[in-house]
Amino acid sequence: MTDVEQQCYIPLDMLTPSDKTPQQTLNPDTAIIVRAVSKRYGALTALDSFDLEVGRGELFALLGPNGAGKTTLIRILTTLMRPTAGEAFVCGLDTAVQGREIRRLIGVVPQENSLDRYLTARENLELHARLHAMEPKKYRARIDEMLELFGLAGRQHDFPDTFSGGMQRRLVVARALIHEPDVLFLDEPTTGLDPQSRRTVWDYIRSIAGKMTIFLTTHYLEEAEQLCERVAIMDHGRLIAMGSSAELKAGLTGGATYEIEFAEGSEHFGEVLRKMSCVEKLEISGRAVKVHLESWECLAEVVSALNGAELRRISLKEKTLEEVFISLTGERVRE
Amino acid sequence: MNLGGALAIWRRDMLVLRRSIFSEMIAVLAYPLTIYLAFGIGMQGYIGLVEGVPYGLFIAPGLITMTAVNAAYNESVWSLWFHRRVQFTIESYRVTPISPSEIIIAKIFSGFSHGLVKGLVVALVIFAITPFRFPLTTLAAYLAFLIPGSAFFSCAGVICGTLLDKPETIGRVEAVLIIPLIFMSGLFFPLSSYPPGVAPFIRLLPTTALFEGARQAMVVGSFSVPYCGYLCLSALLTFTAAVLIFRKKLAE
Repeated sequence: MTDVEQQCYIPLDMLTPSDKTPQQTLNPDTAIIVRAVSKRYGALTALDSFDLEVGRGELFALLGPNGAGKTTLIRILTTLMRPTAGEAFVCGLDTAVQGREIRRLIGVVPQENSLDRYLTARENLELHARLHAMEPKKYRARIDEMLELFGLAGRQHDFPDTFSGGMQRRLVVARALIHEPDVLFLDEPTTGLDPQSRRTVWDYIRSIAGKMTIFLTTHYLEEAEQLCERVAIMDHGRLIAMGSSAELKAGLTGGATYEIEFAEGSEHFGEVLRKMSCVEKLEISGRAVKVHLESWECLAEVVSALNGAELRRISLKEKTLEEVFISLTGERVRE
Repeated sequence: MNLGGALAIWRRDMLVLRRSIFSEMIAVLAYPLTIYLAFGIGMQGYIGLVEGVPYGLFIAPGLITMTAVNAAYNESVWSLWFHRRVQFTIESYRVTPISPSEIIIAKIFSGFSHGLVKGLVVALVIFAITPFRFPLTTLAAYLAFLIPGSAFFSCAGVICGTLLDKPETIGRVEAVLIIPLIFMSGLFFPLSSYPPGVAPFIRLLPTTALFEGARQAMVVGSFSVPYCGYLCLSALLTFTAAVLIFRKKLAE
């Protein structure tokens, strides 16, 4: 049994009979189970029979446009909200009836900073340690460790209002980790941060990967791609795709995009290619021509058409997770 | 219920109060002292005795009580609103292993503590600038009204801070409900001034039990059991309502 398994696993004999759920016996390696969860607000369906499983120690990303239902799902998993239908389990505990036990095991980084601006950085952490019923001796040492780790030790007696956005975000992450949770929920943790601060948060997430289950929602597709082993894409309250970043890209149907760089004559050859039936889209930019083909099999035909051209480079443009995301969720801006 | 979480939040609120106590006191003292100077001293020469006591003495317990309950109400309503709607700290408490009841109990006790501290400061200032003195024996009887009274207003503040999402609505509720409740309950005049048809309704107000009971305890030295019982019952009902409303609101 790994460290993570030891933390997240609650021995069955510690639970009362009413606490025991089928998940504790059926799937002990799963940190999060969501089964047919629906959440309706009047006529609006935020989650629609949503199913999901996240393994223990996994770094998992949930992507979706605004209003897709990501935050609703996190609120249900963190016991802040009850689903209209279905069931959800965290570390084998039922979110419907074992909220307090679940909240002992989870850390949450919400979208809003939710820092107490009337308390210093250290006092913010102390308050949360006390809310988690930690002993003063233990939490003092842990706070020192977290402040050092997140580069906030020198500012521990300052109020969060005087911090930069990146520092505030780091403090929120530190606060979520103060009690050494088994499952960390990060709801858009780097929104609004500058690239440096974002990378600091990423570095920390990478450093704790494997030690705990991390459930991340984000708008930054690069973030999901860089950090997470598995990515799920949801829209309109439903799961529409799930897999590794590479699997999702491989599943993206359609043609291939190549970038062709000419020594000279890019305009001329660009016009030649534009007339070909298998070329769907073409952009000329200086000596380079970006050409989108109906299928990769057309490449031979394209190369033949470029007979006599002085070519410097032909490269396949990798599909991005953003393309997968847009192809699945559409280009229309959500309200 | 484990009250460790409630204690942690209450300690947080007291830490913040301790930090801001001196700056807050200016505002806390200004209102009751202005009223006292204007009515208690300014009008005393015209009014003379009310129910056998000088007018300044007649209104003094009410002003101390008003300061305490106003502070309790204001701390609860604004603290809860601010932490819920602006700072989102209530949300951050809720993802820890404490229950909504613990959060609400902490907020009620914080409001109550604010009320007692600020009421005490106003009392000390009134005693310092006036010749009125009250025997210490009446203090316990007075506190028997002030404590449930502050608790009642703290719970009322929690209810408003939970239900009202806009700050301007909180101001309106204070103007049309809280201030009239305080002023109509005989703070500045005896209940005998009310027309006979109105007086029974005024006596039903929990604030009447508070202000009349507190005055009788401090000025006359008598203890009204019905008033105290009614006030405690009102505080208990408001507390229950505050907990239920807060839990329901969070469940939404």
